[in-house]
Amino acid sequence: MTSEQILAEIREANLSYLMLAQSLIRSDRDQALFRLGISEETAMLIGTLTPAQMMKIATGNTLLCRLRMDDDLVWNLLTSHGKGAANDSVSRLHASILMAGRHQEAA
Amino acid sequence: MARNKSVLTEARQIERAVMLIKLGARLQVLESETDLSYERLLRLYKEVAGHSPSKGQLPFSTDWFMTWQPNIHASLFLNTHEYLNKVAELDEIDTIIKAYQLYLEQIGSQGLEPLLSVTRAWRLVKFVDNGMLTMTRCRKCGGHFVTHPHEIARNYVCGLCEPPARAGKGKAAGALQLPALGRAATKAERASTLPA
Repeated sequence: MTSEQILAEIREANLSYLMLAQSLIRSDRDQALFRLGISEETAMLIGTLTPAQMMKIATGNTLLCRLRMDDDLVWNLLTSHGKGAANDSVSRLHASILMAGRHQEAA
Repeated sequence: MARNKSVLTEARQIERAVMLIKLGARLQVLESETDLSYERLLRLYKEVAGHSPSKGQLPFSTDWFMTWQPNIHASLFLNTHEYLNKVAELDEIDTIIKAYQLYLEQIGSQGLEPLLSVTRAWRLVKFVDNGMLTMTRCRKCGGHFVTHPHEIARNYVCGLCEPPARAGKGKAAGALQLPALGRAATKAERASTLPA
């Protein structure tokens, strides 16, 4: 990937994220807080962004959103490392419970 | 609660009631969560659901939430509920509705059957409010799971970190399955995995 390609792809990902976040916030703000894992203030800011502002924010060499599970536990559950397909849904459900329990990140 | 004469409040309550009926709530839930009269709720129910509401008592036992599979479903719902409770300022019943919708989505996206009905979800929140049930942190994974209030927190391990012997052996479609562990189950263990 050339650096122009990298910048273009990052802008694209940022823009998709912001647009999705905005439509989630506008359709149901409270559920969007859960889905996005962001604070109420952030949600309010994203909700009021204009398209021009979004374009501007999306342009840059870093991504705007980050992974919500940065620990081995949830990561292993999601990828079902070393386990058969039989308990795949059990692992994913386990991961969902752990992630739903993390409201510190948003508060 | 005093009967409110405001048309707007009433419209809001009807909207809530309709949402609850669509999610499959029993009439008792609607009676408890709105100020609408029994007759109006009954008519609303028939109009929205297309049939009469089921009769009889609500499930009242806290034990159902302790069995393996229901406990997982209940814990997923309650964690979602607590999340919304922390981040959003909503009326209690709206938090339940929104958390339940998120729960249904999550379960549906994994091809599972929603074991927890909205009536049970509502009861669960009431049980937690009354201190009859609570959430305890699992010693192994750190997740919070529905338990009786006097669980010894230091030693608690959730049913997902250490599934009971007979867990996940049901053949029902949309149920959680676990590979065999090769151990005969006792009668008590078998009973604990039976659907309530």
